[in-house]
Amino acid sequence: MTTRTKVTLAVLALLTAVAVGSVLATRTHASERAHLSQISNEGHHVALQHGSAWRGFGLTSASLLGVRGARAVYRLESKGGPCVGAGPADDPGKLGTVDCPRGPFPTSQRPVLDLSVYEGASHDSHEVSLYRAEGVAADGVASIAFLRPTGTVALRVPVNANVYEANAVPNGPIAGLAAYDAAGKELWRSP
Amino acid sequence: MKRLALLFSVIAAAAAIGLGQPSSASAGWCWPSCSGYGMLGAGTSTGNGCWYYSEVCSGWGYWYLNGVAKTCYPGCDPYNGVTSGRILYGYENRDRIRGNFTSFAGKRYVQPGELGMGGYLRAQVSWWSGTASQINVGVTG
Repeated sequence: MTTRTKVTLAVLALLTAVAVGSVLATRTHASERAHLSQISNEGHHVALQHGSAWRGFGLTSASLLGVRGARAVYRLESKGGPCVGAGPADDPGKLGTVDCPRGPFPTSQRPVLDLSVYEGASHDSHEVSLYRAEGVAADGVASIAFLRPTGTVALRVPVNANVYEANAVPNGPIAGLAAYDAAGKELWRSP
Repeated sequence: MKRLALLFSVIAAAAAIGLGQPSSASAGWCWPSCSGYGMLGAGTSTGNGCWYYSEVCSGWGYWYLNGVAKTCYPGCDPYNGVTSGRILYGYENRDRIRGNFTSFAGKRYVQPGELGMGGYLRAQVSWWSGTASQINVGVTG
Protein backbone atom coordinates (compact mmCIF):
# COMPACT_ATOMS: atom_id res chain seq x y z
CA MET A 1 0.00 0.00 0.00
CA THR A 2 1.47 3.31 -1.07
CA THR A 3 1.78 6.29 1.25
CA ARG A 4 -0.78 8.18 -0.84
CA THR A 5 -3.31 5.35 -0.43
CA LYS A 6 -2.71 5.24 3.32
CA VAL A 7 -3.25 8.99 3.64
CA THR A 8 -6.41 8.79 1.52
CA LEU A 9 -7.80 5.98 3.67
CA ALA A 10 -6.95 7.85 6.86
CA VAL A 11 -8.69 10.99 5.61
CA LEU A 12 -11.74 8.94 4.58
CA ALA A 13 -11.85 7.26 7.99
CA LEU A 14 -11.58 10.62 9.71
CA LEU A 15 -14.37 12.13 7.60
CA THR A 16 -16.58 9.10 8.26
CA ALA A 17 -15.99 9.39 12.00
CA VAL A 18 -16.81 13.11 11.96
CA ALA A 19 -20.00 12.49 9.94
CA VAL A 20 -21.17 9.68 12.24
CA GLY A 21 -20.35 11.79 15.29
CA SER A 22 -22.30 14.73 13.92
CA VAL A 23 -25.33 12.57 13.16
CA LEU A 24 -25.26 11.02 16.65
CA ALA A 25 -24.83 14.40 18.32
CA THR A 26 -27.68 15.89 16.31
CA ARG A 27 -29.91 12.92 17.08
CA THR A 28 -29.06 13.10 20.78
CA HIS A 29 -29.77 16.81 20.87
CA ALA A 30 -33.02 16.37 18.93
CA SER A 31 -34.06 13.52 21.21
CA GLU A 32 -33.29 15.62 24.28
CA ARG A 33 -35.32 18.51 22.87
CA ALA A 34 -38.20 16.16 22.10
CA HIS A 35 -38.17 14.87 25.66
CA LEU A 36 -38.37 18.41 26.95
CA SER A 37 -41.35 19.20 24.74
CA GLN A 38 -43.80 16.61 25.93
CA ILE A 39 -45.68 15.36 28.95
CA SER A 40 -46.52 11.69 28.58
CA ASN A 41 -48.65 11.52 31.69
CA GLU A 42 -52.14 12.14 30.38
CA GLY A 43 -53.64 11.82 33.85
CA HIS A 44 -57.30 11.15 34.15
CA HIS A 45 -60.13 13.49 33.45
CA VAL A 46 -61.72 15.26 36.38
CA ALA A 47 -64.61 17.67 36.57
CA LEU A 48 -63.45 21.01 37.89
CA GLN A 49 -65.31 22.68 40.66
CA HIS A 50 -66.09 25.91 38.92
CA GLY A 51 -66.46 28.50 41.60
CA SER A 52 -67.70 31.83 40.36
CA ALA A 53 -64.26 33.35 40.50
CA TRP A 54 -62.81 30.69 38.18
CA ARG A 55 -65.46 31.16 35.52
CA GLY A 56 -63.53 33.74 33.55
CA PHE A 57 -60.53 31.51 32.91
CA GLY A 58 -61.92 29.70 29.90
CA LEU A 59 -60.72 26.32 31.19
CA THR A 60 -62.03 23.63 28.87
CA SER A 61 -60.71 20.44 30.44
CA ALA A 62 -58.70 19.14 33.36
CA SER A 63 -56.65 16.02 33.99
CA LEU A 64 -55.36 14.96 37.36
CA LEU A 65 -51.66 14.29 36.81
CA GLY A 66 -51.05 13.01 40.28
CA VAL A 67 -51.57 13.23 43.99
CA ARG A 68 -48.51 13.81 46.13
CA GLY A 69 -49.15 13.92 49.83
CA ALA A 70 -51.90 16.43 50.49
CA ARG A 71 -51.64 17.99 47.04
CA ALA A 72 -53.27 17.31 43.67
CA VAL A 73 -51.62 18.58 40.50
CA TYR A 74 -53.57 19.12 37.29
CA ARG A 75 -52.92 19.63 33.62
CA LEU A 76 -55.48 22.06 32.26
CA GLU A 77 -56.55 23.17 28.83
CA SER A 78 -57.88 26.66 28.31
CA LYS A 79 -59.05 28.58 25.29
CA GLY A 80 -55.67 30.28 25.34
CA GLY A 81 -53.59 27.09 25.52
CA PRO A 82 -52.17 24.73 28.13
CA CYS A 83 -52.23 25.57 31.83
CA VAL A 84 -51.28 23.77 35.01
CA GLY A 85 -52.96 23.97 38.36
CA ALA A 86 -52.96 22.53 41.85
CA GLY A 87 -55.20 22.21 44.82
CA PRO A 88 -55.94 20.14 47.91
CA ALA A 89 -55.87 16.40 47.31
CA ASP A 90 -58.82 15.76 49.61
CA ASP A 91 -61.09 17.84 47.37
CA PRO A 92 -60.62 16.56 43.79
CA GLY A 93 -61.28 19.11 41.09
CA LYS A 94 -60.85 22.06 43.41
CA LEU A 95 -58.19 24.42 42.14
CA GLY A 96 -56.29 26.77 44.38
CA THR A 97 -53.74 27.97 41.87
CA VAL A 98 -53.62 28.11 38.07
CA ASP A 99 -50.73 29.07 35.81
CA CYS A 100 -51.44 29.72 32.13
CA PRO A 101 -48.19 30.71 30.43
CA ARG A 102 -48.28 32.33 27.04
CA GLY A 103 -47.35 29.86 24.33
CA PRO A 104 -46.72 26.14 24.43
CA PHE A 105 -45.72 24.10 27.46
CA PRO A 106 -43.47 22.25 27.87
CA THR A 107 -40.63 23.30 25.60
CA SER A 108 -36.87 22.99 25.82
CA GLN A 109 -36.81 26.66 26.81
CA ARG A 110 -39.51 26.11 29.42
CA PRO A 111 -39.54 22.46 30.54
CA VAL A 112 -40.79 23.27 34.07
CA LEU A 113 -43.68 25.23 35.49
CA ASP A 114 -42.85 25.79 39.11
CA LEU A 115 -45.82 26.24 41.42
CA SER A 116 -43.64 26.25 44.53
CA VAL A 117 -44.47 28.68 47.30
CA TYR A 118 -41.75 31.01 48.56
CA GLU A 119 -41.73 33.06 51.73
CA GLY A 120 -39.99 36.23 52.75
CA ALA A 121 -39.72 37.38 56.35
CA SER A 122 -37.52 40.45 55.95
CA HIS A 123 -38.64 43.76 54.52
CA ASP A 124 -35.13 44.78 53.65
CA SER A 125 -33.65 41.88 51.74
CA HIS A 126 -34.85 40.03 48.70
CA GLU A 127 -34.24 36.73 50.40
CA VAL A 128 -36.88 34.02 50.35
CA SER A 129 -37.11 30.52 51.70
CA LEU A 130 -39.13 27.62 50.39
CA TYR A 131 -42.52 27.00 51.94
CA ARG A 132 -43.54 24.14 49.64
CA ALA A 133 -42.03 22.64 46.48
CA GLU A 134 -44.41 21.70 43.70
CA GLY A 135 -44.68 21.78 39.95
CA VAL A 136 -44.95 20.09 36.57
CA ALA A 137 -41.99 19.07 34.40
CA ALA A 138 -41.44 17.67 30.91
CA ASP A 139 -40.67 14.00 30.25
CA GLY A 140 -36.92 14.49 30.09
CA VAL A 141 -36.71 16.00 33.57
CA ALA A 142 -35.88 13.49 36.31
CA SER A 143 -35.31 15.82 39.23
CA ILE A 144 -35.54 19.42 40.34
CA ALA A 145 -32.98 21.08 42.58
CA PHE A 146 -33.66 24.18 44.65
CA LEU A 147 -30.52 26.24 44.87
CA ARG A 148 -28.97 28.44 47.54
CA PRO A 149 -27.68 31.89 46.54
CA THR A 150 -24.21 30.30 46.47
CA GLY A 151 -25.40 27.81 43.86
CA THR A 152 -25.30 24.78 46.16
CA VAL A 153 -28.26 22.42 46.21
CA ALA A 154 -30.61 22.95 49.16
CA LEU A 155 -33.18 20.37 48.13
CA ARG A 156 -33.49 17.86 45.33
CA VAL A 157 -36.95 16.57 44.48
CA PRO A 158 -37.56 13.66 42.11
CA VAL A 159 -40.01 14.08 39.24
CA ASN A 160 -42.45 11.20 38.99
CA ALA A 161 -44.94 11.05 36.13
CA ASN A 162 -44.17 14.70 35.33
CA VAL A 163 -45.00 15.92 38.85
CA TYR A 164 -42.75 16.98 41.71
CA GLU A 165 -43.78 17.88 45.21
CA ALA A 166 -42.15 18.20 48.60
CA ASN A 167 -43.80 19.39 51.74
CA ALA A 168 -40.77 18.93 53.96
CA VAL A 169 -38.39 21.64 52.88
CA PRO A 170 -35.18 22.99 54.39
CA ASN A 171 -34.88 26.40 56.05
CA GLY A 172 -32.70 29.06 54.54
CA PRO A 173 -32.54 31.15 51.40
CA ILE A 174 -33.44 29.82 47.97
CA ALA A 175 -32.34 31.71 44.88
CA GLY A 176 -33.46 29.51 42.00
CA LEU A 177 -34.04 26.05 40.67
CA ALA A 178 -32.52 23.72 38.12
CA ALA A 179 -33.83 20.73 36.19
CA TYR A 180 -31.76 17.59 35.61
CA ASP A 181 -32.09 14.51 33.44
CA ALA A 182 -31.79 10.95 34.72
CA ALA A 183 -28.02 11.05 34.26
CA GLY A 184 -27.73 14.15 36.40
CA LYS A 185 -27.07 16.52 33.52
CA GLU A 186 -28.44 20.01 34.03
CA LEU A 187 -31.08 20.79 31.42
CA TRP A 188 -32.49 24.12 32.50
CA ARG A 189 -32.11 26.71 35.21
CA SER A 190 -34.19 29.57 36.56
CA PRO A 191 -33.48 32.38 36.91
CA MET B 1 -54.23 52.03 6.87
CA LYS B 2 -57.40 53.05 8.70
CA ARG B 3 -58.56 49.44 8.65
CA LEU B 4 -55.24 48.36 10.12
CA ALA B 5 -55.52 50.96 12.87
CA LEU B 6 -59.06 49.80 13.62
CA LEU B 7 -57.89 46.20 13.79
CA PHE B 8 -55.16 47.11 16.28
CA SER B 9 -57.67 49.09 18.33
CA VAL B 10 -59.97 46.08 18.53
CA ILE B 11 -57.09 43.78 19.46
CA ALA B 12 -55.91 46.23 22.12
CA ALA B 13 -59.42 46.52 23.55
CA ALA B 14 -59.81 42.73 23.61
CA ALA B 15 -56.44 42.38 25.32
CA ALA B 16 -57.41 44.98 27.89
CA ILE B 17 -60.66 43.19 28.66
CA GLY B 18 -58.77 39.89 29.15
CA LEU B 19 -56.25 41.15 31.69
CA GLY B 20 -55.77 39.43 35.01
CA GLN B 21 -59.28 39.86 36.29
CA PRO B 22 -60.43 36.57 37.78
CA SER B 23 -64.04 37.13 36.73
CA SER B 24 -66.71 39.73 36.62
CA ALA B 25 -67.40 38.87 40.27
CA SER B 26 -66.49 41.41 42.91
CA ALA B 27 -63.12 42.74 41.75
CA GLY B 28 -62.09 44.33 44.99
CA TRP B 29 -58.82 45.82 43.89
CA CYS B 30 -57.02 46.28 40.59
CA TRP B 31 -53.66 47.67 39.57
CA PRO B 32 -53.04 49.98 37.84
CA SER B 33 -56.73 49.89 36.97
CA CYS B 34 -59.29 47.26 36.10
CA SER B 35 -58.88 47.96 32.39
CA GLY B 36 -55.20 48.52 31.71
CA TYR B 37 -51.62 47.52 32.30
CA GLY B 38 -48.86 49.20 34.27
CA MET B 39 -45.12 48.75 34.55
CA LEU B 40 -43.86 47.09 37.73
CA GLY B 41 -40.15 47.64 38.16
CA ALA B 42 -37.55 48.70 40.67
CA GLY B 43 -39.10 51.51 42.70
CA THR B 44 -42.69 50.97 41.61
CA SER B 45 -44.98 51.27 44.60
CA THR B 46 -48.58 51.80 45.49
CA GLY B 47 -47.34 53.83 48.44
CA ASN B 48 -49.50 52.13 51.03
CA GLY B 49 -46.88 50.41 53.12
CA CYS B 50 -46.37 47.20 51.14
CA TRP B 51 -43.89 44.61 52.36
CA TYR B 52 -41.24 45.51 49.81
CA TYR B 53 -40.14 48.82 48.37
CA SER B 54 -40.76 47.69 44.76
CA GLU B 55 -44.22 46.25 45.11
CA VAL B 56 -47.88 46.93 44.43
CA CYS B 57 -50.32 45.73 47.07
CA SER B 58 -53.99 45.97 47.87
CA GLY B 59 -55.44 47.29 51.06
CA TRP B 60 -56.11 44.89 53.91
CA GLY B 61 -59.02 42.55 53.35
CA TYR B 62 -60.35 39.02 53.34
CA TRP B 63 -59.21 38.30 49.79
CA TYR B 64 -60.31 35.28 47.80
CA LEU B 65 -58.22 35.31 44.63
CA ASN B 66 -55.27 37.20 43.20
CA GLY B 67 -55.08 37.24 39.38
CA VAL B 68 -52.04 38.55 37.52
CA ALA B 69 -51.64 39.01 33.77
CA LYS B 70 -48.10 39.64 32.53
CA THR B 71 -47.38 40.63 28.95
CA CYS B 72 -44.30 40.22 26.79
CA TYR B 73 -43.61 43.95 26.89
CA PRO B 74 -40.95 45.34 26.86
CA GLY B 75 -39.54 42.19 25.30
CA CYS B 76 -39.63 38.41 25.39
CA ASP B 77 -39.08 35.27 23.44
CA PRO B 78 -42.17 35.38 21.23
CA TYR B 79 -42.49 31.58 21.12
CA ASN B 80 -42.06 30.76 24.80
CA GLY B 81 -43.05 34.07 26.38
CA VAL B 82 -39.87 34.08 28.46
CA THR B 83 -39.11 37.58 29.75
CA SER B 84 -36.20 38.90 31.77
CA GLY B 85 -38.48 40.40 34.42
CA ARG B 86 -39.19 38.18 37.43
CA ILE B 87 -42.10 38.84 39.77
CA LEU B 88 -43.40 37.36 43.01
CA TYR B 89 -47.20 37.29 43.29
CA GLY B 90 -49.32 36.25 46.26
CA TYR B 91 -50.23 37.69 49.64
CA GLU B 92 -48.71 39.19 52.74
CA ASN B 93 -49.61 39.78 56.35
CA ARG B 94 -47.76 41.55 59.13
CA ASP B 95 -45.32 38.67 59.62
CA ARG B 96 -44.48 37.39 56.16
CA ILE B 97 -44.94 37.60 52.43
CA ARG B 98 -45.60 34.49 50.35
CA GLY B 99 -46.08 33.83 46.68
CA ASN B 100 -45.10 32.14 43.45
CA PHE B 101 -42.40 33.34 41.09
CA THR B 102 -42.73 33.77 37.37
CA SER B 103 -40.82 35.36 34.54
CA PHE B 104 -43.19 34.13 31.84
CA ALA B 105 -45.84 36.10 30.05
CA GLY B 106 -49.28 34.71 30.75
CA LYS B 107 -51.99 34.65 33.36
CA ARG B 108 -51.97 33.10 36.79
CA TYR B 109 -54.24 33.01 39.77
CA VAL B 110 -53.71 32.04 43.37
CA GLN B 111 -55.86 31.79 46.46
CA PRO B 112 -54.52 32.56 49.95
CA GLY B 113 -55.08 29.00 51.17
CA GLU B 114 -52.65 27.72 48.52
CA LEU B 115 -49.93 29.70 50.23
CA GLY B 116 -50.91 28.54 53.69
CA MET B 117 -52.40 31.93 54.46
CA GLY B 118 -55.80 33.19 55.43
CA GLY B 119 -57.60 35.93 57.29
CA TYR B 120 -56.83 39.59 56.99
CA LEU B 121 -54.27 39.96 54.18
CA ARG B 122 -52.94 42.13 51.43
CA ALA B 123 -52.70 40.78 47.88
CA GLN B 124 -49.38 41.67 46.32
CA VAL B 125 -47.19 41.57 43.27
CA SER B 126 -43.51 42.38 43.77
CA TRP B 127 -40.79 43.20 41.29
CA TRP B 128 -38.03 40.72 42.01
CA SER B 129 -35.34 41.08 39.39
CA GLY B 130 -34.59 42.02 35.82
CA THR B 131 -36.46 44.43 33.66
CA ALA B 132 -39.80 45.93 34.60
CA SER B 133 -42.85 43.78 33.91
CA GLN B 134 -46.00 45.01 32.27
CA ILE B 135 -48.81 43.61 34.39
CA ASN B 136 -52.42 43.93 35.39
CA VAL B 137 -53.56 42.74 38.79
CA GLY B 138 -57.13 41.94 39.76
CA VAL B 139 -58.06 40.78 43.23
CA THR B 140 -61.44 39.54 44.36
CA GLY B 141 -62.74 39.48 47.88
